[in-house]
Amino acid sequence: MKKSRSVGASSPLNGIGRQDGDSRRKRKVAEISQALNVTPVDVAVLRRMAISEGGLLTDEIRCKVWPWLLNVPTDTLPEEPEAVERENNKDYNQVLLDVQRSLRRFPPGMPDEQREGLQEELIDIILRVLGRNTQLHYYQGYHDIVVTFLLVLGERLATALVEKLSTHHLRDFMDPTMDNTKHILNYLMPIIERVNPEVHDFMQQAEVGTIFALSWLITWFGHVLSDFRHVVRLYDFFLACHPLMPIYFAAVIVLYREDEVLDCECDMASVHHLLSQIPQDLPYETLISRAGDLFVQFPPSELAREAAQQYSQHSSSLTLINCHPSLRTAASTFKDFDLASEQQRPDSVLRRRRREKQALDGASAGAVVATAQPTAARRLVRLAVMGLTVALGAAALTLVNTALEWAPKLDLQLFP
Amino acid sequence: MASVESSTEFTSSLTVSSNLPPPRTRIFKIIVIGDSGVGKTCLTYRFCAGKFPEKTEATIGVDFREKLIDIDGETIKVQLWDTAGQERFRKSMVQHYYRNVHAVVFVYDVTSAASFRSLPAWIEECKQHALGQEVPRILVGNKCDLLNSVQVGTDLAQQFADAHSMPLFETSAKNPGSGDGGSRGSSDHVEAIFMTVAHKLKSQKPLILSQPPGGVLAGDTVTLRRGRNDSEEKESWACSC
Ligand SMILES: Nc1nc2c(ncn2[C@@H]2O[C@H](COP(=O)(O)OP(=O)(O)OP(=O)(O)O)[C@@H](O)[C@H]2O)c(=O)[nH]1
Ligand SMILES: [Mg+2]
Repeated sequence: MKKSRSVGASSPLNGIGRQDGDSRRKRKVAEISQALNVTPVDVAVLRRMAISEGGLLTDEIRCKVWPWLLNVPTDTLPEEPEAVERENNKDYNQVLLDVQRSLRRFPPGMPDEQREGLQEELIDIILRVLGRNTQLHYYQGYHDIVVTFLLVLGERLATALVEKLSTHHLRDFMDPTMDNTKHILNYLMPIIERVNPEVHDFMQQAEVGTIFALSWLITWFGHVLSDFRHVVRLYDFFLACHPLMPIYFAAVIVLYREDEVLDCECDMASVHHLLSQIPQDLPYETLISRAGDLFVQFPPSELAREAAQQYSQHSSSLTLINCHPSLRTAASTFKDFDLASEQQRPDSVLRRRRREKQALDGASAGAVVATAQPTAARRLVRLAVMGLTVALGAAALTLVNTALEWAPKLDLQLFP
Repeated sequence: MASVESSTEFTSSLTVSSNLPPPRTRIFKIIVIGDSGVGKTCLTYRFCAGKFPEKTEATIGVDFREKLIDIDGETIKVQLWDTAGQERFRKSMVQHYYRNVHAVVFVYDVTSAASFRSLPAWIEECKQHALGQEVPRILVGNKCDLLNSVQVGTDLAQQFADAHSMPLFETSAKNPGSGDGGSRGSSDHVEAIFMTVAHKLKSQKPLILSQPPGGVLAGDTVTLRRGRNDSEEKESWACSC
């Protein structure tokens, strides 16, 4: 773990004194309310605030800012959310079963009666959103996301935001099958490979797969983190960013634990077990800024091809990737940012191909290390700059810009 | 940590046990499948941690639990792969975990006819992953403590088990001593079930054996409560008990 810290962005934020922290916090609150009060509301600033250290700080602020991050107008919401039909509802049984078992998501001291009331609301929100969007399919873990919105925003706002989120960020998880979810998980190993080929190779050799990260991805870590403050902090970050950011964050967690991983027995069970247990004392701010760095350095467009290749390898299909119907869907989900930049950078694909070929031809560890070095070196150089700039907000700005390109527009149909 | 039954507890029991095994500990990998809510997580937790978890959560993907057991002086590591029950996870997700499985445990909920009706689909699922009859498979009816809500009778379940050449066990992860054999419940029935599978695997391992199954099992201490209609199959399967 020490090793990974020294490699990563050594955040100057960790060393700040308490007073300094307090005044920063005050300044941040002021900046946020200013951004909210100008006309039109300065969403770019809000995004930056959600990404930068501490995120949006309080649930009160989140109630005001999250709707802007998702572009949900709050003044036109119905006062009373519509009633929900539970009888003969195809999802009711599964939702009920999952919500009943979600006790750990509620604050420990909450009186039973209050919790039970919230659980009822939770069921209603889920069924309402599913009922209005018949193309969406419930998955176990969806309830872990919705409960977070409910606890922060209350039923009325949560319904509206969850609906928007479900038709955008979570859309791929809610297909009839999980093929697209699997495709997104395929981004994980290429990211890890760029940063630490040794960890990547170890995991490949163990054949651990990526299912250990499944619940992280589809619940935005809500299922696995026990401290609610950490969960909402991450949600600030994810809401302000590209929908693939959770997979970068997953990679960052694995990379942060590189020493543990490499010390582990190299078999599926041991590695799966190690990784699926998330340490509860992660340095979230550091990891968030590192995930941001990785996103900037290795944007999805650069990884898309590899992720798709993993897919075709897994399904041992010789069909051209582009012909695979489910992949086409996944690609179209991200077409705004993926495809455009991929065409601009054919060289990166070629370089990559060449490297893979060399690695295959060489077949020796030496060849692999040698070819991996340029990536590592480039990363270090860039991290030196990025590590600082994230704190200053410059890299955050890059993220904001990417997110803005993507940001759900009311009139834009990403999923016709 | 909001709950006592947190996942860290699984870790700690694992950590303790993983310090012990000598280098060559054999591993039996058992996959546990069945509809959502039938109690797969509770059963595997009961076996590995020795108690009923007060708060479980939906399993997303695959959870892993393990326990060291001793059979005839040999220490064996039993790995339980606790899978997600929701159908959408089966197809593309859990696949990876069917590989190199030594045994399959099918679970239904005796209070849910629907979970029983799903069994053929689960069996088919297994076949597709090349886990047919040559791999030891057992059928477990869970939640027998809920005496007043039983929807799947023992006879029906036994017929089904016979038809698929599997032994049937009825049990409760919550209250192992309850059910129609009420007074018998002194020992941990769930434990006995998994131990039986482990014995079967040990007896079957081609490496050690050209002996007929059963021979190795002599001196076995595991006791089992039997269903009312023990079939031939089950007799031969669990014959040493
Ligand atoms: N009365 C009783 N309840 C049980 C028993 N086993 C499990 N349950 C309850 O049944 C519910 C589901 O149990 P789980 O173990 O979470 O079910 P699962 O099969 O793992 O479900 P998925 O993870 O969704 O696939 C929980 O509320 C348990 O408390 C049992 O033996 N008796
Ligand atoms: Mg479970």
